[in-house]
Amino acid sequence: MTQAAAMTTGAATADAAIHLRDVSVHFGDITGLKEASFDIAPGEFVSVVGPSGCGKTTLLNLLTGLLPVQTGTVKVLGKPAREGNSDVAYMLARDCLLPWRTTLGNAMYGMEARGLLPGKEREKKAHHLLERVGLHGFADQYPKALSHGMRQRNALARTFCLDSPVLLMDEPFGALDAQTKLQLEDLLLDLWREHQKTVVFITHDLGEAVALSDRVMVMSARPGRIVADIKIDLPRPRSVRDLQKSHEFHEIYTEVWEVLEAGMKS
Amino acid sequence: MNDHNKTPPLTMGWIVAHLVFIAALIALWETSARLRWVDPLMIGKPSDAVGFLWEGFVTERSLWKDIGYTLFGTFASFVLGSTMAILTGLMFVTWPATERFATPYLTLLNAIPRIALAPLFLLWFGLGLGSKIAVGVSLSYFVVLAATVAGIRSVSGDIVTLARSLGVSKGRIFRTITLPSAVPSIFSGLRLALVYSMLGVIGAELIAAEHGIGQTLSFLQANFETSAVMALLLVLALIGLAVTMGMSWLERHLLRWQ
Ligand SMILES: Nc1ncnc2c1ncn2[C@@H]1O[C@H](COP(=O)(O)OP(=O)(O)O)[C@@H](O)[C@H]1O
Ligand SMILES: [Mg+2]
Repeated sequence: MTQAAAMTTGAATADAAIHLRDVSVHFGDITGLKEASFDIAPGEFVSVVGPSGCGKTTLLNLLTGLLPVQTGTVKVLGKPAREGNSDVAYMLARDCLLPWRTTLGNAMYGMEARGLLPGKEREKKAHHLLERVGLHGFADQYPKALSHGMRQRNALARTFCLDSPVLLMDEPFGALDAQTKLQLEDLLLDLWREHQKTVVFITHDLGEAVALSDRVMVMSARPGRIVADIKIDLPRPRSVRDLQKSHEFHEIYTEVWEVLEAGMKS
Repeated sequence: MNDHNKTPPLTMGWIVAHLVFIAALIALWETSARLRWVDPLMIGKPSDAVGFLWEGFVTERSLWKDIGYTLFGTFASFVLGSTMAILTGLMFVTWPATERFATPYLTLLNAIPRIALAPLFLLWFGLGLGSKIAVGVSLSYFVVLAATVAGIRSVSGDIVTLARSLGVSKGRIFRTITLPSAVPSIFSGLRLALVYSMLGVIGAELIAAEHGIGQTLSFLQANFETSAVMALLLVLALIGLAVTMGMSWLERHLLRWQ
């Protein structure tokens, strides 16, 4: 947990869950992402922080295959990124619930779209995850009846129902109030521990990144470059709520903050 | 779930208040006409209006036929106009070039006061149902077209992104996400279109027709039968109300998730 841990290159290349080499993205004249290279080990929880517009969403769109690779190499579980890859589950800042489906229907939506499991088992699994995220009493409600936090819980259930080994999350708790955010962060950590997934978690909240992650990657403002890659040596299992009061957490937060500032200047 | 926009329940007190108010209004109206405070030619007389309705609906039954023609015309223009509009909307969204090409012409057509087309339609389709349906269609078509295109455009880009990441095909995204997202907007377009269809049909009947409430209204007006005109206006208001309420009911039941 020292500063020496900064600027690691990540896991060994061969068995990386996610592998990027020299990846740049251009939208006409705009550089969306500049020369990104990193590896993420299976089961690792990695956060990416950076100012708005620096290319965080662009990075995830490459990994989901929604954005074609222009230059460089992008591999997910050793295979080139491709749209609809069932190894990948995507969760966005907005809940993306279908308003005409109930909580249960939305939890099942991902599995239905991918044709996972026969109907009965699908429903059973969705019920199980709704219970895990604390929505068991709300299976028959429509999204309009749910609060912001509940809707994002519903989205979490849909995401974890997919059982994809790689989880890509784009500021999933960015729009929530502080209390709800803490609850969902801890819920995410619990689910992550149970399901053993590789997570790329985008956020603009450095505290959230440090509290959740094994590693924090910092991006500079446009043109988006990765300027720091910092290992977070807080013990697991963690509770984000308890960490708020932990001296160690605040120390590491300050260290990362300094690395971030140094990186922004260089 | 949506308790805040429900009207409070109608209590006995309110019903009585309304009945008293209406009775007082009718009494004042009748007295004004009888004592010639106002020329009855201008406002008619409630007692004569009731007599007219009694005759039209019960003894001679001629009004039923008129209502039938008007409602059939309304329904036909609604169905025809909406169907054409939804198909056009789908075409516009599937092939955007068609929309770009057609928009200036549609804008121009939509700028014509529709009732001004009635004489032309009468010439083309005669005094029967054809001409009033044409006027109704010319109104309902544009309302539903705008609502369809707006509804399809309103689909959430994020939901489409999510579906793509789940490997859902373009065609299936359109059918299972884009179209359902458009339904609420299309529905409010349809509700408006029903009212507009009726407006168009009655407007056309007022100008010229063999049958229909509009035609009867225009005939009675020409003969200074003001009481009968008043009675028919009340009938029209009630029909309009029933149609709108029916549509709202349908909407509430079909779009429970809204
Ligand atoms: N499809 C696109 N076309 C043009 N520019 C884009 C597109 N997607 C993203 N950009 C631009 O690329 C940059 C990075 O965007 P994004 O990855 O969404 O940033 P972030 O998620 O970090 O806020 C921004 O300047 C944005 O305007
Ligand atoms: Mg973003």
